[in-house]
Amino acid sequence: MSTKGTHIPDWLQVPFAGITPAPSQKDGQDLFPTGNWRSTRPVYRDKMPPCNNACGTNEKIQGYLDLVKRGKYLDAYALIKEDMPFPSVTGRVCYHPCEQACNRGQYDEAISIRAVERFLGDLGQALPRDVVKAGKPNGKKVAIVGSGPAGHSAAYQLARLGYAVTIFEKSPKAGGLNRGGIPEWVLPKKILDREIERLIELGITIRTNTEIGRDIRWDDLEKDFDACLLAVGLTDPNSVRAQGEDKEGVLYGLPFLRDIGMGTSKVKLGRRVAVIGGGNTAIDCAREALRQGAEYVSMITVERNTKEMPAGAEDLHDMLEEGVVLVHGRALTNVVGNGRVEGFELHPAHFAGAVNASPIVVDRDVPPERFPVDNVIVAIGQRASISWVPPGFRSDRGGIKVDKFGRLGDTMFFAAGDISMVGTGQQLMVVNAVGDGKRVAFNLDRAVRGLPLQERTAPVDVITDLARLNMTYFPHFARVKQDLLLPTKRARTQDEVIQPFSKEQAVEEAGRCFSCGTCNACDNCYLVCPEPCIVRSVRSNGLYKILVDYCKGCRVCIEECPTGCLEGVPEMDFDTGVVRMDTAFAITQGLHGRQAEQLRMLPTLPPKDIENWK
Amino acid sequence: MSYTELTVWTRGIIMDKEGRDIVNSVAAAGRLEGKFSQAMENYVDNPDRTNAPTRKYCRLSETPIENALTYENEHPNVVVLVEQTMVKGWDYMRGMPPGGTLVINTHYSPEYVLRFVPGPERLAQLVCIDAARLADHKWLYYRLGELGLDRLSTEGAAERTKEVAPDIAAPLIAAVVKSTGIVKVETIEPMIANKTAFRAAFDQLRVLPIGRAVA
Repeated sequence: MSTKGTHIPDWLQVPFAGITPAPSQKDGQDLFPTGNWRSTRPVYRDKMPPCNNACGTNEKIQGYLDLVKRGKYLDAYALIKEDMPFPSVTGRVCYHPCEQACNRGQYDEAISIRAVERFLGDLGQALPRDVVKAGKPNGKKVAIVGSGPAGHSAAYQLARLGYAVTIFEKSPKAGGLNRGGIPEWVLPKKILDREIERLIELGITIRTNTEIGRDIRWDDLEKDFDACLLAVGLTDPNSVRAQGEDKEGVLYGLPFLRDIGMGTSKVKLGRRVAVIGGGNTAIDCAREALRQGAEYVSMITVERNTKEMPAGAEDLHDMLEEGVVLVHGRALTNVVGNGRVEGFELHPAHFAGAVNASPIVVDRDVPPERFPVDNVIVAIGQRASISWVPPGFRSDRGGIKVDKFGRLGDTMFFAAGDISMVGTGQQLMVVNAVGDGKRVAFNLDRAVRGLPLQERTAPVDVITDLARLNMTYFPHFARVKQDLLLPTKRARTQDEVIQPFSKEQAVEEAGRCFSCGTCNACDNCYLVCPEPCIVRSVRSNGLYKILVDYCKGCRVCIEECPTGCLEGVPEMDFDTGVVRMDTAFAITQGLHGRQAEQLRMLPTLPPKDIENWK
Repeated sequence: MSYTELTVWTRGIIMDKEGRDIVNSVAAAGRLEGKFSQAMENYVDNPDRTNAPTRKYCRLSETPIENALTYENEHPNVVVLVEQTMVKGWDYMRGMPPGGTLVINTHYSPEYVLRFVPGPERLAQLVCIDAARLADHKWLYYRLGELGLDRLSTEGAAERTKEVAPDIAAPLIAAVVKSTGIVKVETIEPMIANKTAFRAAFDQLRVLPIGRAVA
């Protein structure tokens, strides 16, 4: 008997038990709302990657690496500019605490984050107009003292918030440490000039050759401005307290670099130069001395080996390649010469306790070693020059005394950067000053608006470690190396030593990122879910959605998430997700529920009129 | 035809034995006390699927049970949820007459859990017992996947142990017995393997009285 052409009325179109329509993309999930099988619910919860946490200004490093990987360079540049006003500068000078913290470093090699940052910074420099705009003017005036990293960062953030910002800089050119402490072959001056131009484009006034205490008094700042931020940094060099240190030919590290940077240097170095100190400034001084015409440069440190030196390993390596000789475990005790340096004496020395955190013990019982030398450069740290600050606000460590919000007591004065961080145990580096400037600027804004302030060092609850990641998804890949000029080529010139990434290199390096603890829209959960209960409209972080009515809590997506951003949360913690069924399988929802309802309604329908059937 | 009905909701394979132990031991104890009793499982629920909700039934009566061929409790006086998230799915309260008891294995308080119970006005009491902790049953909630491999069958064919209530079933039986008095403690206690957890549950029961108990 053929059923062809037979009409079956709606109320009779009830499938047999067990026969269900083939699931379709559209309503296949309508069959069984299995959400009540679940004891754990997967939840997308982005956590702090270690690089973002280690970065002094908490750049969203994972975020911009992900954007670079997808070729969205401009978006990546805009993201970096949220926290960092000058990525082209930090992309060259930063001592990259992010790379030390990178989880990839425990697996093969850390991501070359600084190189990608420099790639983005240079991209931003090439733009005819910056992506950042000044905020709507709010009629408030803010003074910022110092145009170094902290002052630059604070001015940038406040201008974006709509403040009328004036920067006071005592040097003839703006830039502070970026100009005066970093040599040309690390950071070309034209790069810095362009970043300063960007700052002026935001409507910021920079008054150079203006020193507080000399041209402008403390009271003027208080009277003329709604608030003031002090970011003067550490400008005076520490003395080594050796005999004859006042002789001609003894130079100090930071003034030596600063005069060269400002273009006002009159120094002519001799053939033989000794650098005293084992830090980053000392390394810069030694390498700059080579470029200023010295032939033999040696570096004298109290630290017993290179591991103890408070300096970046890469810079140290490059310095040794250029031919600087290292002498460990000695201290300068005497500078000899008749009016001008002719030689110097060294005694064995060591730290009394912890390295770089305890007094230096000099062993004067043994006869001194004596060497001929033409110039001595002392680079053993800096201190502040803040005689113009009211005495009540000076800290016993030589900086400015601030509370945990960066504020000077109850005044509308704030301080940021090295001047408030000195002696607190925080590392003094450009990126930390930038971050401090940013956070204190936000506190200044809150104080002006009468809002509660936020602590400068907020604790982070979870920092993603390697154990949270699914390492199955990450093959080993070598780090993409930045090219360097050959030591013989670079040691006597001012050419930039480290070469930039090409676009391909930047994309390849960004592709190595684990995206620790943060969703990078890899689509893995979307693909592995055995029920199609993960949905997305566009492939983007934060736009995945889990249909809780159908999620059985099988944990496959949680276990398979490469980045560890998916977490299993006990279902009982949620008020939502109640999928009530009558019994285990005789359901009331979905297609089966509707079929059961039709079956229940069958007796109430009118009987068939067989007589008049058509 | 009035008898006491006990329905246990549990999860297929991983907690199937717990549910079976509860209905079996209560039915056996009732029979020892001279009552008529039945215990059965519900195969409509597909109990051999991991994590699938399944039901176990028990009936106790002073007189012979006449509808011996109905394998389902239509009016359960006592409902036990062996796993806590079951409180959010299924209408386990369906058919419960006023004055019933709901026993849940959870570390949450009865006051918190009550928000998920459909039709709580029918309850005389809501009983919460942290059976997983009392039975020192660490792996139950955290290693569900491994549990599925450990217990290969719902029917006892490949159980690790033939003991009755070696694990979280013991505190749950104690909770049922103490809060409802469905059977005597002296009758049921000798059957229980995990007597430590059984005794501890008597002290650590959390009972939220809601409505009037019906005798």
